Amino acid sequence: MTRDDFENLLVFKANGTLEGEELAALEAALASDAELRAELYALEAIRDTMQSDPVQSPGELGLARLMRDVENETRVTEAPAAANDNVVPITRLRFWQAAAAVVLAVGIGFNLTDFGPGASVETSVAFEDRIAEPAGFGLASGGSSDFTVAFAPDATEAEIRGLLLDAGVEIVSGPSALGLYGLALLDMDAERSARDILASSGIIDDLQ
Amino acid sequence: MTADHKFLIEQIASGDKQALAALYKALERPVYKFIVSRLNDPHEANDILHEVFMDVWRSAGRFEGRSKVQTWVFGIAYRKSIDVMRKRGRVDLTDEQPDLVDDSPDQETCLAAGQEAEHVRHCLETLKDDHRSAITLAFYQDMTYGEIAEVAGVPEGTVKTRIFHAKKLLMRCLQGRVERTVA
Repeated sequence: MTRDDFENLLVFKANGTLEGEELAALEAALASDAELRAELYALEAIRDTMQSDPVQSPGELGLARLMRDVENETRVTEAPAAANDNVVPITRLRFWQAAAAVVLAVGIGFNLTDFGPGASVETSVAFEDRIAEPAGFGLASGGSSDFTVAFAPDATEAEIRGLLLDAGVEIVSGPSALGLYGLALLDMDAERSARDILASSGIIDDLQ
Repeated sequence: MTADHKFLIEQIASGDKQALAALYKALERPVYKFIVSRLNDPHEANDILHEVFMDVWRSAGRFEGRSKVQTWVFGIAYRKSIDVMRKRGRVDLTDEQPDLVDDSPDQETCLAAGQEAEHVRHCLETLKDDHRSAITLAFYQDMTYGEIAEVAGVPEGTVKTRIFHAKKLLMRCLQGRVERTVA
C-alpha cells in the first residue's frame, strides 16, 4: 500500500469501520509514522465534533405529516376506480383535505404524547388503529380554522404542544406548501385571549 | 438493528403504517442531518425528508435486501438532494470541478478547543457536494466506503478519491480558520 492509501484509510479507521487486512496494515503503518498518527487524531476530533453537532429535525410533526399523507394516499389508492377517474371532483378533493386535517389533528392535537421520545411501537399501533378507524373521533373545534400560523423553524414539538394547550386551540389543517397551519379554538368565547397568547409567543413567526 | 430494519421494510411493503412510523423514528434524525448537510436549508430538508419516507412507503416492496436498509434509504435521500440541487442549478456532475479552497496552506492537525463545530460546519460548506457527501456519510453516519459507494451509486474507487480530496481540503480549511482565530 502507498502512503496515499494509508491516508485514505484513516477516515475509516477514525469512524471504526475498517477491518481485516486493511486495518492490520494501517495499524502497522501508524505504529511507525507519527504524522499518520497525528492526522488520525485530527480526523477523530473532526468526527467527534460532527457527531455532537445538534440537529433540529422535524420529529413528531414530520411523522404526523407523513402519516397524514400516507393515509391520504392509501385512501386514494383504495378508492374504486371510476370510468373517468383522471378527473377528480372538487367535492372529493375537499373530502380528502378534510380527512387529512382530521388525521393530522388526531395525531398532533390530542395524542402527541404517544410520540414522545419514549414512545414504543405499541403506542404507534394505537395511533395507527385510531387513524384507520372510520369513526369514533372528532375535532372538538368542529374543524374550521380560526387562525393561520407559521411556527418558527426552530420551535420544538414540546413548545408547540405547550402553546396549543395554553391558547386552547388545536391544529386542524396544514402544513401547507408554505408551512402554514390552521388552528381552531376549542372554546369559541376565548378568541381574544387565544390570539393574545399566540401573538406573544416566541415560536409563532406569522399569525393571521 | 439491521435485522430490525429489514423486518420493518417487509412490514411496510405489506402496507403496515406502524412499521413505517417505527422506521421513521429510527432513521429520521440521521437522514435529516445528511440532507441538511447537503442542502443547507432546513425547510427544504424537511420536505425532502418527507419525500424520502413517502418513497420508502411506496417502494418498500422493491427493496431487494442486498444492502442495508439504512444504505438504501440514504441512497433515496442522496438522489432526491441531487434533484433539488439540479433545480437550483448548483450541482457538480463530475469530480473535475474544484472545491472552494477557503484558506491557507499547511496541513496541520490541530483543532483548538471552542468553536470547533462552527469551524467544521463552515469548512464542510466550502467543499463541493460530492466531497461533502462522502465525508458526511463517513463521519456523521459511520459508513464504510462500500456503503458510501452504494448510497452515491459510484464505484468504491471513486469514493476513495472523493474522501481523499475532501479530507485534505477540510483539514486545510480548518487549519486556516484555527490560525486566524488564534491570530
